[in-house]
Amino acid sequence: MDEFTLSRIFINLVIATKWTLILSAIAFICGGIVGFIVMLMRISPNKLLRGISFIYVEFFQGTPLLLQLFLAFFGLSVVFGINLSPLAAATLALTGFTSAFLADIWRGAVQALPQGQWEAGSAIGFSYFKQLQLIILPQAIKQAIAPTVGFLVQVIKGTSLASIIGFTELSRAAALINNVTLQSLLIFGLAGLIYFIVCYPLSTWSQYLEQKLSY
Amino acid sequence: MTLKFLKALFSTPFKRAIALFCASLLLTISIASCSGSSDAVKSKANISPDNIAQLENSNTLQEVKTAGKINIAVPADFPPFGAVGPDMQPRGYDIDVANQIAQELGVEVELVSVVGNYRIPFLQTDRVDLVISSLGKNEERAAIIDFSQPYAPFFSGIYGRSKIEVASLDDLEGHTVGVAQGSLEDLEISKLPPDKIDIKRYANNSLTASALVSGQVNLIATGNVVAAKLIQDNPSQKIESKFILKDSPCYVGIRKQDTELLERVNKILAHLKQTGKLNQLSLKWFGEPLPKDLTATTQA
Repeated sequence: MDEFTLSRIFINLVIATKWTLILSAIAFICGGIVGFIVMLMRISPNKLLRGISFIYVEFFQGTPLLLQLFLAFFGLSVVFGINLSPLAAATLALTGFTSAFLADIWRGAVQALPQGQWEAGSAIGFSYFKQLQLIILPQAIKQAIAPTVGFLVQVIKGTSLASIIGFTELSRAAALINNVTLQSLLIFGLAGLIYFIVCYPLSTWSQYLEQKLSY
Repeated sequence: MTLKFLKALFSTPFKRAIALFCASLLLTISIASCSGSSDAVKSKANISPDNIAQLENSNTLQEVKTAGKINIAVPADFPPFGAVGPDMQPRGYDIDVANQIAQELGVEVELVSVVGNYRIPFLQTDRVDLVISSLGKNEERAAIIDFSQPYAPFFSGIYGRSKIEVASLDDLEGHTVGVAQGSLEDLEISKLPPDKIDIKRYANNSLTASALVSGQVNLIATGNVVAAKLIQDNPSQKIESKFILKDSPCYVGIRKQDTELLERVNKILAHLKQTGKLNQLSLKWFGEPLPKDLTATTQA
């Protein structure tokens, strides 16, 4: 019987990191797009839109990601008879989760700007959209970068929950290999190291961006 | 009139854009949910009197044959039933049995390695057709899924070297038996009169096993999964099972309404038992032949 050597364990963990990265990318991109739209709804002057987005954000912030994954994978299946593939279910749940938090982070960044910025915009005859595009968002982005990246690092680690619906990502791969080799310290140590290697550049990148955008 | 009202409501381009977005979102969702319910695979999980008639029409065996593929849930975290190899593919007793069953059905097999607790939801939501995942039987499970005849050994037994002869609880008199403190086997063996046998309790399974290997005790009471590893790691010691304390074999899990598939799986299992194939697999993964009661049950 062939055995798990150290290099074999490491290679397998790196291969499993692929899913961690794919799921994170899906969460960032889809969550970012939906999150932006929800943020626009949150700061909109329209009461109905504000109400809808408020419920959306509260639902996804107020329930655990694990439960959202469950609902997307098994819940939809039981209630509506729609069997989503693991990837579709993970995309749905991760997008909902990430977008709700990003929407709130970005709303905070926008609302932190003095009201006078909006008023100045309207004083020179900009429409609502122009005010947002030319005055508000460029300033808000700077405010938003640190908490956004901080949250994205959390999302990367949160993707480990997707293992319950069948993804063999980094954490699950480590658990599976540990089950056979029983060298828990080594294997989880390696997995931790890989998580760090993935997350640390993001943090440094955010620091760099913040410096670059400060005037 | 309506147009005027709408224009007043969505006066700015921004409001119009948002309204458009909401409308398209609603449309997409409604289209998705309508087409989803007719095209997507219907779940058979929610069983109510209304849809039982519809349930009986479903024929997984036929579907599997037409598709030429069967989805089987297997474990990936429970050696020797199923654990990953260096290539990260699961392998073990359950995987071999799954392959055998698919081969007898004449279809390809798609192994879905599932996390233990979620075996049954995978079956209920049609993501797999069979669960071959060291699944034990209990009343709660029997209420929602069906079980085949037993296919895998899972029991607590008395183990010792081949030269020691004990065949029943009475024979244990005068022997020292090692057991892991607080384990299932400890509960079983503690029911015996304490003056007759000498029980030595160890902190865990591996200490119990090493007590047997080092000769501190001649017999131990332990589960066959623990013993499988012990037998594999110490081939020179000739350790074998003496008799079974408590038997709770594993079954193949099948959806309630799939009676045809159940019949077919039972036939295949009976065949595998008769030809000795299942016994070979047991020797390969558990290091000991199948217990006699298991081979004897060729009926469900």
